[in-house]
Amino acid sequence: MTLIVITGAGGGLGRALAVELTGRGMQVTGFGRRLDALQDTGRIAGDKFTPMQVDVADADAVAAAFAALPAPVTHLINNAAVYPRRDILDETPASFAATLAINLGGVVACTDAALRQMVQTGIGRIMNVSTFADIAPLPASSAYAVSKGAARIYTRAIVADLADRFPGIVMNDWMPGMLATGMGISHGLDPAIAARWGAELLLLNDPGLMGSVWEMDRELLPPRSFKGRIKDRLLFRPRRTARRLG
Amino acid sequence: MIDRLWDIIIIGTGIGGGTIGRALAERGHSVLFVEQGPDGPRTEQTALNPGLIDPVSRLVRGFWPDPVTGVIDGQPRTFFAPLGAGVGGSSVFYAATLERPAPHDLDHSASHPHPTGGWPVNDAQMRPYFAAAEAMYCVTGGKDPLSDAPPLPEPPLLSAGDAEIMAKLTARGLHPYRLHAAVKYLPACAECFGHKCPRTCKMDGRSAGVDPAMATGNATLLDHCTVTALRGTPTRITHIEATHHGKPVVLRGQRIVLAAGAFGSPRLLLASTADWPQGCANSSGLVGRNLMFHLNEMFAIWPGRAFAGPSKSVGLRDLYHVGGKRFGMVQAMGIEASYGEIVHYLRAMLDRSPLRRLSGLVRLPALIGAKVLGNAKVFVGLMEDLPYLENRVTVDPANPGRISFTYALRPELLARRKTFRRLIRQAFAGLRPLFLTHTPELNYGHPCGTVRYGTDPATSVLTPDCRAHDLENLWVVDASFFPTAMGVNPSLTIAANALRVADKMEGGV
Repeated sequence: MTLIVITGAGGGLGRALAVELTGRGMQVTGFGRRLDALQDTGRIAGDKFTPMQVDVADADAVAAAFAALPAPVTHLINNAAVYPRRDILDETPASFAATLAINLGGVVACTDAALRQMVQTGIGRIMNVSTFADIAPLPASSAYAVSKGAARIYTRAIVADLADRFPGIVMNDWMPGMLATGMGISHGLDPAIAARWGAELLLLNDPGLMGSVWEMDRELLPPRSFKGRIKDRLLFRPRRTARRLG
Repeated sequence: MIDRLWDIIIIGTGIGGGTIGRALAERGHSVLFVEQGPDGPRTEQTALNPGLIDPVSRLVRGFWPDPVTGVIDGQPRTFFAPLGAGVGGSSVFYAATLERPAPHDLDHSASHPHPTGGWPVNDAQMRPYFAAAEAMYCVTGGKDPLSDAPPLPEPPLLSAGDAEIMAKLTARGLHPYRLHAAVKYLPACAECFGHKCPRTCKMDGRSAGVDPAMATGNATLLDHCTVTALRGTPTRITHIEATHHGKPVVLRGQRIVLAAGAFGSPRLLLASTADWPQGCANSSGLVGRNLMFHLNEMFAIWPGRAFAGPSKSVGLRDLYHVGGKRFGMVQAMGIEASYGEIVHYLRAMLDRSPLRRLSGLVRLPALIGAKVLGNAKVFVGLMEDLPYLENRVTVDPANPGRISFTYALRPELLARRKTFRRLIRQAFAGLRPLFLTHTPELNYGHPCGTVRYGTDPATSVLTPDCRAHDLENLWVVDASFFPTAMGVNPSLTIAANALRVADKMEGGV
């Protein structure tokens, strides 16, 4: 049985993913801090959607929520995040840590709880909604950039720990693009379109996706130096091509 | 768990420990399995990875955490051996080849003289235990035309590629048969050779031993527990000193079964000097001596372009014993040497030569080779090693937990190897055999002989029942007890002997 957990399902991309996946006949449990917002998602997504009021920054609450699921989780989308716009001089260690607790701590808590169930069967799929915010942080985004960048490192660390042991547990990062959501930009992409890619990517269960990075509907290959590319050609290494959805 | 007095404590959970633990737990004894490595999640599919060098990561995966140090022909070498440290020991990674030894491996005869005059328990006495171990490990396989061993259950249909290889080898006058494999071939069996099986399909020390032992309710598993010393009186083991998650603990059992492998068991005995200055059970001075391996001769054959898929399941014994000389079995390795593998082997060859800076260049000949010849099938000839006192497991007092040994390649061994290679070339002529090993390759996954059994306490450590001559409550049931290395994989003989020892232990408590 498939059971999908989406964090931050009370709005934006999380809601769009819940609607898309329930529309494909999947059972979805949505985590969020506000029950009314989750219930609004439920009204659109229908009765295949189950709301659960959980603050992902509270690891104990997350563990209890996973323990209370009607079936073991098979798919997890770490989507919940906050993006407080704050100049570094207005940021305090406490405000910075609060953002880390959600954007990084939430990913760690949910991934940890999900993995404990997934290693029982050896099968599972985890997708992190990610960004390029860590590459070139925008002004007034320090906590967001650091927390989202650290979450990407967390994915790579999980690859190092699990890829060779549990080939059936597949985790990857997905950058949905600039979306027209509360956290995004007004002229951005309709989150329903991004959710179609996200759903398709989530439901791909190819072990080869482990650790892969996707932007919108296409894979981003790890960079290869010029020297490396020359060597590849000279030594007849098979060329890697980026995968595409659809 | 720690304070209790156990009927039986078993140190090590590989083929030997797992098998005897199951047999004893099924008879109602309280059994404690002590395992140095972790009892990891059952769904892991980890493959042995000699490239992983961090000891913490290695132990998590059930690999022996530390490198081993061997002084080989006087040259010290430090490397990672294909050894496990987790529930099931090395066997969770093995290829599950459970072949019976040939009668001459154990018995002396005029036509087949035995280097030690024969094992104290002969082939005829072992046969019921071979059969019992084959049943316990769900062994299937074909009938070896050159042996009188009873038939086994038939494995699933041979792959088309393997069937053609069999036909081709038969046409060359050889006698190939389906290898004897401890695999249930459950639906969607992935043939987990070289990596952990996520189900109870491949039968190993864990799935055929520890798991069923635990299911009896009589067995308990203490993982992350490293035994540091045996303690006792001149005639008895009284207790075991160990660390559990790094903290010192003392374990007590009426009877102690050592199954830590042919490196680990003698190392523990030799390190247990507090009550026995020469080492535990070592009045003969033979503990750790007579270390043997197999010599691996790997070669590729090109049976033709039409042969799809790797060959995993073909073996033959035509070269097992030729012209009065002891060699061993030839088996498919389960590897298809396509372009990538050929590159790997050619590069490994180059790495050992002065041309190593050019190792990238092997890709071109390999690519051409793969295009012209199709995919190669890789076979291995296991050649028997013989016992020598000077080849032995050693203990570094500064670092008693590390595996170390001294080994010299004897002229006798090198001469026999040369003959074995010639025999392989002749037998496989027409299939374009290409040797992938050039210098002698010791199989560090098959150590044996270091706590040998025998009738004479002066020339052996263990009695024919595998109890220490010196001690009334210590048994050793891993490959240490072998007086000779045989020409086959050790696993079936270890398992069969463990069942036999379980019977003998019942005789006298």
